[in-house]
Amino acid sequence: MITPIKALRKNRFKTALIFISMSVSIAAIFLISAISGGVVSMYSSMLKTDGDIIVTQKGIADTFFSDINRSVTVTISKIEGVKEVSGLILGAAPVDPLPIVGIYGVSENRFKSYSLIQGAYPAAGEVMLGSKIYETLKHPETISLSKKEFRVSGAFKSRIGFEDGGVVMGMDDAGEVFHKSASIFLLSLNDLSKSDAIIAEINRINPEMEAKTTDGFIDSYNQFKIIKTSSDVIGAMAFLMGILGIVSMMSMVVNDRKGEFGIMRSIGLSSTTIILKLLSETLIIAVIAYTVALGASLGILELIEHADKFQGYINGEITVTLMINVFMVSVSMALVGTLLPAIYASRIDPMSLIQRGGA
Amino acid sequence: MRIEALGVEHFYGHEKVLNGVDIVIEPGSFTAIIGESGSGKTTLLSILSTLLQPSVGSVRYDGKILSELGNIDHFRRAHIGFVFQFHYLISYLSLRENIALAALDPTLIDPLMENLGIERLGKRYSDEVSGGERQRAAIARALINRPSVVFADEPTGNLDTKNALGVYELFKSFSKEGTGFVVASHDKKIADYADIIIEMEDGIVKKIHK
Repeated sequence: MITPIKALRKNRFKTALIFISMSVSIAAIFLISAISGGVVSMYSSMLKTDGDIIVTQKGIADTFFSDINRSVTVTISKIEGVKEVSGLILGAAPVDPLPIVGIYGVSENRFKSYSLIQGAYPAAGEVMLGSKIYETLKHPETISLSKKEFRVSGAFKSRIGFEDGGVVMGMDDAGEVFHKSASIFLLSLNDLSKSDAIIAEINRINPEMEAKTTDGFIDSYNQFKIIKTSSDVIGAMAFLMGILGIVSMMSMVVNDRKGEFGIMRSIGLSSTTIILKLLSETLIIAVIAYTVALGASLGILELIEHADKFQGYINGEITVTLMINVFMVSVSMALVGTLLPAIYASRIDPMSLIQRGGA
Repeated sequence: MRIEALGVEHFYGHEKVLNGVDIVIEPGSFTAIIGESGSGKTTLLSILSTLLQPSVGSVRYDGKILSELGNIDHFRRAHIGFVFQFHYLISYLSLRENIALAALDPTLIDPLMENLGIERLGKRYSDEVSGGERQRAAIARALINRPSVVFADEPTGNLDTKNALGVYELFKSFSKEGTGFVVASHDKKIADYADIIIEMEDGIVKKIHK
């Protein structure tokens, strides 16, 4: 353990470059994965609140485009096993001076899921604001939506960033703003084991609607797949950039240290020992870079979460699983990036290494 | 260990630096390879010590060619020591750590350092000691595994006369205990210590003196 640390200290400049290259790559992987994971997690949490089953317009790519008739809720609520049906209209609109804000039209029975911190739940012609937007707009008495004034009835706190930075209003008012009856219905059930039968019944009532379990919907939702795929692609690019950075730096390190490796070979240390020595050096850098990148990512996510500019919409989530995955990625990055230059160095005759490198 | 070079030739690119060398190094002998710069001494020494593969010909160790010796690194570590002109100690390791890097049995390090008079310098780095002390540490590294033979390439090339003679004396004393030495040098004083002198010129063995 001491020898690799001494070697790293001896080659401080290049060690620092490898460290920076790895830290930036790892932090990039952390941030993109955390932010995309956070988006999926926030939206999933919103849908899962009192929602064992979700009903949307059939075949829509995005819940924002879904339009279903609210009158059906009466029929659905009578199906055996259904505890409660709530409706939601999902939309987005500018709220001066903010260019875009999430607007949620919700049925009255859903208001209880919002914890009021000020005022009351909205009546007709009123809205309540998430705490984030309430602070950003400096406790407004009214807001303008689609050229119509709405009185602010109160403010609520939500752990879901989308809601905390958004506007909640009654279904009728939201229907007028977005010209639709409802985007989705969320059903809570008395007995989850009956969900398949209930889904079949809803799909029979209106073939233009599609009912799924909320978990099933989240797993198959295209928008989530797009976000996940984009995040994976960007993460993979960051991984490749990290590997390229390490390969190029390690090639320089190996070139600088040919003499040293030649000496080691001349005293009988095996090629494998030299490869392991180089790998242990980059693994030490990788572990430190991982720790620094994790700390930096947590700090950056905290800053983003509280930045007024983002209204709490960007709410990254670094889970234990993500930490473990990124750690494995960091170790792989170090191993793959070092292996090629290390194998190259180990295959040269000791005397050639000494002659080319000195000591 | 008896080392036998048979028809050894070596090229660097198109340049032929060894041109059919046939020599035998007897076990425990003190052999000097002398010659001018460019005569092929270092290349021959590197080939005999397994640090370089010959382009043509073969080297036998107790009758076995390299491919019959098993793991070449293990063989080199257990049976061969090498001393370079420029000590070639690893600069970020202390003298003791340099010796320990090669050691198969770490308990031999301190007695050997004491034997070579560098026991007080174990924690020092190569840039903190004199040239003679560095070379003694390099010799300790070469001797630590009690090799059958130690190869030394111009081991006194960077030393003053007093230190140079000290190195030859050291070699001679270990040689008497059974360790073979093959020393490449253009220093004629080596002749006073060697049992056999191999004279090289333009890549061939010009003469062997016993």
